[in-house]
Amino acid sequence: MNPKGSTSKIKTIIVHEYLTKVKTKGFIIATILGPLLLLAVIFIPILVTMLGADSTERKIAIVDYTEKLGKEIVNSDTSKYFLTNYSPETLRKEVLSGKLDGYLVIPKDFLKRGEADVYTMGGGGIGFLNTLESNVREVARKERLREAGVDLSVINLVEEGVDINTQKITKEGTEKDYAEAYAVVGYVFGFIIYTLMLLYGSFVSRGVIEEKANRIIEVIASSARPFEIMMGKVIGIGCVGLTQVLFWVILSGVLLYLIAPMLGGMASDPEMLKTQMMNQNQNMVMPTSFEIPNISPWIFVAFIFYFLSGYFLYATLFAAVGSAVDQESDAQQLQMPIMLPIIIPILLVGYVISNPESTISVILSLFPLFTPILMMVRVAATPVPLWQIIASIVLMLGSFYGCVWMAARIYRVGILMYGKKPNLKDLFKWVRQSG
Amino acid sequence: MDILKVNSIVKRFGDFEAVSNVTFSVEQGTVFGLLGPNGAGKTTTIRMMTNILKPDEGEVSLFGEKVGSLQQNRIGYLPEERGLYKKIKVIDQLIYFGQLKGMSRSDAQSEARKWLKKLDAETWETKKIQELSKGMQQKVQFITTILHNPDLLILDEPFSGFDPINTEIIKKIISDLKSEGKTIILSTHIMEQVEQLCDHICLIDKGKMILSGMVREIKKNYGRDTILMEWDGDDLFLNEFSNIKYINRSNNRAEFRITDGLTPMLILQKASQKNNIYKFELAEPSLNEIFIDVVTKQGVDNES
Repeated sequence: MNPKGSTSKIKTIIVHEYLTKVKTKGFIIATILGPLLLLAVIFIPILVTMLGADSTERKIAIVDYTEKLGKEIVNSDTSKYFLTNYSPETLRKEVLSGKLDGYLVIPKDFLKRGEADVYTMGGGGIGFLNTLESNVREVARKERLREAGVDLSVINLVEEGVDINTQKITKEGTEKDYAEAYAVVGYVFGFIIYTLMLLYGSFVSRGVIEEKANRIIEVIASSARPFEIMMGKVIGIGCVGLTQVLFWVILSGVLLYLIAPMLGGMASDPEMLKTQMMNQNQNMVMPTSFEIPNISPWIFVAFIFYFLSGYFLYATLFAAVGSAVDQESDAQQLQMPIMLPIIIPILLVGYVISNPESTISVILSLFPLFTPILMMVRVAATPVPLWQIIASIVLMLGSFYGCVWMAARIYRVGILMYGKKPNLKDLFKWVRQSG
Repeated sequence: MDILKVNSIVKRFGDFEAVSNVTFSVEQGTVFGLLGPNGAGKTTTIRMMTNILKPDEGEVSLFGEKVGSLQQNRIGYLPEERGLYKKIKVIDQLIYFGQLKGMSRSDAQSEARKWLKKLDAETWETKKIQELSKGMQQKVQFITTILHNPDLLILDEPFSGFDPINTEIIKKIISDLKSEGKTIILSTHIMEQVEQLCDHICLIDKGKMILSGMVREIKKNYGRDTILMEWDGDDLFLNEFSNIKYINRSNNRAEFRITDGLTPMLILQKASQKNNIYKFELAEPSLNEIFIDVVTKQGVDNES
């Protein structure tokens, strides 16, 4: 028999870990359904707002003592408003019986005093009131201008809306800037990295605990060095994560660069889209744009790098903790110090997205334990200076080296230690212990 | 030729010395019994032989070289605490462990099939471990130990969990491997098996080696002081002797060791006065006896 070196041992372990995981139903389902789930998480709230605003048709009666404005208001949305001569007493009964959602009383001196009362059963949401108020305000403003003797063409001029289109300056000239869209992209990528680091980290610790609890580790340790066993597992499971991420990146690439331009051609007239929207509901808050923002492929490269480096940094620590305990339920407490630096950046994402260039954001994103999430967010949200990106790469690689060194020393002792529940102090003692 | 040399190894865990100054060597083609009570330091010693742990002092050499990654491929180790991946198929599991010992995938596969067939377990190939009974799992575990045709086998309680039929099958495999020139280190608490299988033994207690040598020599040195007798009648005559250490005693049968000036002849004379003697045998003590004797004596020495 050919004696083989350690490279083939670690390769054997990597392949074993990879294939066992990739072949599971759970992995295949998660890989395919993951993007759908993510889309659902992002778009369901948007859809609910869009549909929700339109879903409750409200009937509002208008009692108009000015005998001018009421007609105009009804014209702004005939499905909602109608003029009436009923007495307030009758209308009150109608509202109470549910036939009517409310009634608006416009006093005779409304244009001067600018005050009118709307009577409803209460509730109805801010959206409803805002719509009503702006409908009334618009009509009133027009009327006031006309009374002041302003020419109709001038009034129309004033009424014309304003849109601020953000333009981004590049070397090639200017292009449309999608600051808000980029913020969302940053948040989504940061969140994916967060989820994957926790998920794959726990795969590693669970795998280590399984081997220890089932006493498989003793046989493996008599075949390979503890460092090879640990790194084989970490790399193998990392490759599983990479497979998943690459699948998603390629899928997004196909969507963004192949399918989106086709769709973009169809919906290239934003004005038309806008008019459609306006007809549905005049005061709906418009999404910034329906065009798909131009996401640089470099953002995907950064995503893959920060995911991988973050995973490796934490996975080794998860392996170390897993090796120290006898069963999964004991791992919780020891895992807290590792989970916290993964969770904290998610709490800071909001700040970093709003101020991606502030000194605090720069420092936070260069702190290696936070880098995977926060630097990812910044790279997506703003053009990060090259030196900061290089610094983050160097710092990540350095910390990875340190974590591997420390984790390997804990692992080596931990896998053979049964029966006692170690604490953090014990782990540090193991680090210092000699071979 | 000595295939394994353990040269005054010491292993400490903190202040606790688990193994202190243990030395022995194992000759090729023999079965070596590594014995000792629970917690004596056997597992730690085995872990140093398999390169799982490094000794703090001393050295283990295998096949003429200091033990390391390369030597590991030539060892098959069956730990006392068994374990396999619960959710992985039997064949995949065997292939993986074979590859970890440096086999190619295809070699591992064909060897795994060969052994499964030999142990009447071909039909388990695609089953997951969790679907197998305890005894079946033990068989699979045993195959992982010998799959890569190791020159040195280290078996810790190899028969635990096996029924008498399977125990015989495993014993047969062990003796076959021995006749092929493989070396076997056996660690067990069942002394009958040691007497049946082992050529040499080493007895460890509290990390120290307290007895070692060839089984035959050790028993011989202990002398023929054990009497096994059967008779017809009562056993009152035995009460006249005070220097007797009983191993077994009933109305018509007794096994005991004699000490301090008592001779077999004296007992035989006394017994034959009133009884018919069916059997009177002067034997070497069993290893079990020696084991208990040595370990308890050691305990007394330590306390005094």
